[in-house]
Amino acid sequence: MKVGVIVFPGSNCDRDMYHVLTDVFKLDAEYFWHEKGLPKNIDAVILPGGFSYGDRLRSGAIAAHSPIINDVRKMAEKGIPILGVCNGFQILVEAGLLPGALLKNTSLNFMCRWTSLIVENNKTPFTNKLKLHQKIPIPIANGEGRYYVDELTLKKLKKNNQIVFRYSEVVNGSTDRIAGVCNEDGNVVGMMPHPERATESAINPIDNKPSSLIFESLIKTIGVKN
Amino acid sequence: MSLEPQELDELTSKIGRKPTSTELQIVAAEWSEHCSYKSSKKHLKMLPMKGPLVISEKGYDSGVLDVGDGYVITAHIESHNHPSAVEPYGGAATGVGGVIRDILSAGTRPIAIFDGLRFGDIEKDQQARWLFKNAVTGIADYGNCLGIPTIGGEVEFDECYSNYALVDVAAIGFGKKKNLIKNHAKKGDLVVLLGGSTGRDGIGGSQFASDSLESENRSAVQIPDPFIEKLIIEAILEARNQNLIHAMKDLGGGGLSCAVSETADALSIGIEMDVNKVHTRESDMNPDEIMVSESQERMLIVTDNDKFKKIQEICKKFHITCSVIGKVTSGNMMHVKKGKKTCANLPTDLVANATLLDRPSKKPAYLEKIEDEKKLAPITDYSKMMMMFLSSPNIASKIWVYGQYDHEVGIRTVVKPGTDASVLRLDNGKFLAAKIDGNPKHCYINPREGAIGCFEEACRNVVCTGATPIGMLDHLQFGNPEDPEIFWTFLESLKGLTDFAKYFEIPCVGGKVSLYNETPSGPIKPTPIIGILGLIDKTPLYPQKIASGDCLVIIGNTKNEMGGSEYFEYIHKFIGGICPVVNFEESKANMNTVLNVIKKNLLKAVHDCSKGGLGVAVSEICMTHQIGCTVSLDKVPGPKLDADRILFSESHSRYLLVLQKKNLKKLEEILKKSHVSYHMIGVFGDENIRFNLDRKSIIDLRVDKAQKTWSNSLRELVVHG
Amino acid sequence: MAIFNVHVTIENKPGISDPEGETILNDLVLKGTHSSISKIKTAKMLKFTIKEKDKKIAKAKVQEICDDLRIYNPMVSKVTIDVFDA
Repeated sequence: MKVGVIVFPGSNCDRDMYHVLTDVFKLDAEYFWHEKGLPKNIDAVILPGGFSYGDRLRSGAIAAHSPIINDVRKMAEKGIPILGVCNGFQILVEAGLLPGALLKNTSLNFMCRWTSLIVENNKTPFTNKLKLHQKIPIPIANGEGRYYVDELTLKKLKKNNQIVFRYSEVVNGSTDRIAGVCNEDGNVVGMMPHPERATESAINPIDNKPSSLIFESLIKTIGVKN
Repeated sequence: MSLEPQELDELTSKIGRKPTSTELQIVAAEWSEHCSYKSSKKHLKMLPMKGPLVISEKGYDSGVLDVGDGYVITAHIESHNHPSAVEPYGGAATGVGGVIRDILSAGTRPIAIFDGLRFGDIEKDQQARWLFKNAVTGIADYGNCLGIPTIGGEVEFDECYSNYALVDVAAIGFGKKKNLIKNHAKKGDLVVLLGGSTGRDGIGGSQFASDSLESENRSAVQIPDPFIEKLIIEAILEARNQNLIHAMKDLGGGGLSCAVSETADALSIGIEMDVNKVHTRESDMNPDEIMVSESQERMLIVTDNDKFKKIQEICKKFHITCSVIGKVTSGNMMHVKKGKKTCANLPTDLVANATLLDRPSKKPAYLEKIEDEKKLAPITDYSKMMMMFLSSPNIASKIWVYGQYDHEVGIRTVVKPGTDASVLRLDNGKFLAAKIDGNPKHCYINPREGAIGCFEEACRNVVCTGATPIGMLDHLQFGNPEDPEIFWTFLESLKGLTDFAKYFEIPCVGGKVSLYNETPSGPIKPTPIIGILGLIDKTPLYPQKIASGDCLVIIGNTKNEMGGSEYFEYIHKFIGGICPVVNFEESKANMNTVLNVIKKNLLKAVHDCSKGGLGVAVSEICMTHQIGCTVSLDKVPGPKLDADRILFSESHSRYLLVLQKKNLKKLEEILKKSHVSYHMIGVFGDENIRFNLDRKSIIDLRVDKAQKTWSNSLRELVVHG
Repeated sequence: MAIFNVHVTIENKPGISDPEGETILNDLVLKGTHSSISKIKTAKMLKFTIKEKDKKIAKAKVQEICDDLRIYNPMVSKVTIDVFDA
């Protein structure tokens, strides 16, 4: 089982994600620089948070044109689990792999704080060990984290069960309090909050077990395959 | 940019000829107060710099401390006051960038940022609000983009900063001892400039920082580019991992002039460089401009031919430019050429070491009567006053500020901002606590005791997490040093810090002096800022949930020391009175005792008493934990005082301990044995914060209402004015 | 009195770098096949709708507002004001 962690110029949660994958969950992980290709033997791909290209133009807009995104697209089509966190989510949206857009928070400020998520879809490769409507204490840290979709798309998302996480409170003005979504097949998941910042009790002041289940879900998913 | 007439004479006589225009620019930059410390350097030597954990090497821009198991931390502090006063967004952001590169220069990865911000009265002054808002955004945009958590700092408002801004930034780095850059160079080594292009922005910045802010110096504004800084960090650390760097220095104040001359001087080498090789943003820049440009995000690296090829590979990966601009020569000359033409050829020790000054000092006249108190208007309703106090800009929660900073990235932040000091976990299983503190209101009334107070407060804050102070950073900010009265306040503060550092054996691992901090209406109050690094070997004190029935114990005496207190200044609009004085013996005993009881696992939380005194400190615990507390003021140790003085005196060396009732007896036994002043003064429970004196209610507030006001008032003020 | 649309463009002054524009140029546009582009500058535009006697007064009024309220920081930015009939 091998998890690829993609590094763009300006990614800054790549090392945190790698630490959690390898040191906390004992997974085999490898960094991939955005100008390189992804090898065939990758079982899951994670696009970590950060400020790819300094968030210029729009968060994720430039990284979405990186060469590696073509490989990510191919893997997405093959049904390989792909997770985008924060800037990774923004990149997946800009690349058209996930629906919607991420706009400036209604406060117009960068926000770093703890909140909690509610699991709305526990069938994805990253949520299949969580209970439906389970609460996950987790931090957010973003400036352009307000998820936006028009009403028609929202209806479609609901119908296809593509809303994966909702915030338990109004955080940043996201449409329908959406914090994370998946593609129609459910293998590509994007979320604004940072699960890698919540899996260790030392840095999680509330409860580290629920967000650990996101990674344990991945282990369950790709472990079964092998 | 220019030299003083006597400095020009000195330069001319030392080199035995008339200096060229480039030489004049180089020397003016390097001999400016900002780069040369010519007013302060003689005196700074009094601070103790050595300690068992301090690693000192030539050419480091940051302090290095050994934290065991083969790991080191590095620390540095700087300010960016003048640039931030005219362009707060860019000034504050580039301030972060500069100090981060100092941490990087030692070969360590930056892991935390702290910022101390000071502005005029934001309640009245729209300009102060504008400066504040934009400085915060500047720091947020820069630090967040780099992925370095901003985990602490302080914000203060005082009329003495009207139309001005103090933006102090401290940073901490972490790395393996074996990866530290051992600054060295030999003849033939290449001198490489890596990073952003050199442009006209920021020309004359260091000179600018050494002038009073009379004329608006437009060209000195620097444009922040955190994206390229992030790439530089990753490229440099990759080069470090491959051992490709012989010596390294960040380009800060004075640009290439200072970086080249100081590197050459520190390593006892000569450097020959060609300005044509510098990658510039505009094609028509002349040598003088190239040498003093303070364009941001640039690093100077010394390496050899083979290693340079590998550095080029790394730079190619990150799409950043690196140019060989010169080479190391024998001798000690700094030789600047444009093609074949010599523009400057000066001995590096001459450039890098301005003649140090012995400035006259004289006790300021205003201090004669400052301790006299005036008769204060009586307070009729303390509860009402307290609500107003909790919403005042200096007391109000700073969550609007630190909520905009990513303080979680890097997943080290164990104790989060909003507490006494944040705590980071280190890779060797230990923990690092850090805090910066300043108190210009105290320092104005008594520059010596005020400075010592800042030092002690920063120590108290890290002690509250269970950390032992291991190193100190000082940043001394004053007005025009040519004024003997201002220079006296500088010396007094410095002497006070030195005495405290020696008594507590806390070495100064880094520091900075910023002078000429003058606003249109005069000098700022003396504003020394102290940063303290504390180490925790086992576990920090994680704040735990406070329950009904838990006890509140105070350690330390509350004295009649109201001078410079927030209560006098904000509520009574009175500047004067007696400044709180730290009793060294008492301070040490209290500090050691608190550390001891934290180790024994008897406590749920510890909080120090500082700005706003006991009244604010107890309220902060209640509001943070959303629980009430009833406090008997008559039980507070110290001389007998009126209720307002017990509530709002800012006496030092005081700690509030929260514990379960079942641990009280054990705690009291230890406190008795330690010979510290203490008393149990309150019990937690229900929904009100209550202060009583002789069974009479003085203050009675609903916690939820107080908490709402305290948390939201700063944001309200910034957003709605 | 007439209604005018006034466009205020705020951009960094000449000689002051524009990292965002440079990134969009180098890391997006020039990586494609659009080699004829040599420069991209970012700017922020505010669109005012204003009722004034004539274009000249409308322009002066908006300029005054921009200066008074620090809508741009003259230290780093410049403004260009264009007036159109509504």
